[in-house]
Amino acid sequence: MPLTARGEAIFDRLPAAAPRASTGSIGCEIVRHEELCIGCARCASACPTGATRAGGLFDPMQLFAAPPDSRRGALGSALRKIARHQPSQPIEVPARVSSFRSIVYDAEECIGCGACARICPTGAVEALPVSAEEIAADARARRGEAVA
Amino acid sequence: MEERIELPEAEGAERKIVGFFCRECAYAAADATGNARVSLPPTIRSVLVPCTGRVSPLHLLKALADGADGVYIAGCLVGQCHYREGNLYALDRIEFARALLESVGVEPERVQMFTMSAADSPKFVEAARKMHETISNLPPLERK
Repeated sequence: MPLTARGEAIFDRLPAAAPRASTGSIGCEIVRHEELCIGCARCASACPTGATRAGGLFDPMQLFAAPPDSRRGALGSALRKIARHQPSQPIEVPARVSSFRSIVYDAEECIGCGACARICPTGAVEALPVSAEEIAADARARRGEAVA
Repeated sequence: MEERIELPEAEGAERKIVGFFCRECAYAAADATGNARVSLPPTIRSVLVPCTGRVSPLHLLKALADGADGVYIAGCLVGQCHYREGNLYALDRIEFARALLESVGVEPERVQMFTMSAADSPKFVEAARKMHETISNLPPLERK
């Protein structure tokens, strides 16, 4: 997997790092806040590797956690009024219901480019930059040095 | 969605059923029913929608949460939607709303969909009566 532009920029500033030698992924750490997600799946269409995609299931608990002024929150408060117990498992979503799908995120396939966080309209995806220390440690480990 | 209309209680209408009727077919069928002076169950409250594809899961669940014991959509026959596939969207949303209700322990029969043609007023009456019967056999919906 290629280095992201951000990863390369950080590498250039680090005298101890081995530039361009890495084949692993370096970039942002992706943190998802499911309660803010509106299910628009823009992150899924922006994802270059398919690590983020719209799944075929929906977790009803997301409705209860959503902000009350959102559409999902309105549906959640209506559902809470008539609920007899808490939903225990995700439900299957029919084909034409598009905005009620839980987004599936696979950290293994993620290269940390942050495209999902940039396109997210509600701030439900956060891309946390990796610190310079972590990158230096990663570079040292790749050269076979002991991690301090 | 926040506007509320208080309707006078009709006799025998302790339960409330909200029906969303497609303008192109079910509402025409309802008109024909009225012209033929066939009576509908007193529990039915009708809402006219331009197409059943307009009805979202929020409409269905909000009606239940705010006082209805049952909700149903009456729309065009599959393949005969005036807007090509609005009724297919409605069918899928009904299915989704039923799955949501089931996941929180509420009877999914409270939400149903019926399809009919504009000329088929007997089927419209049958749908209304079937919905009335289903809801009458269920306990009142409890709300928090």
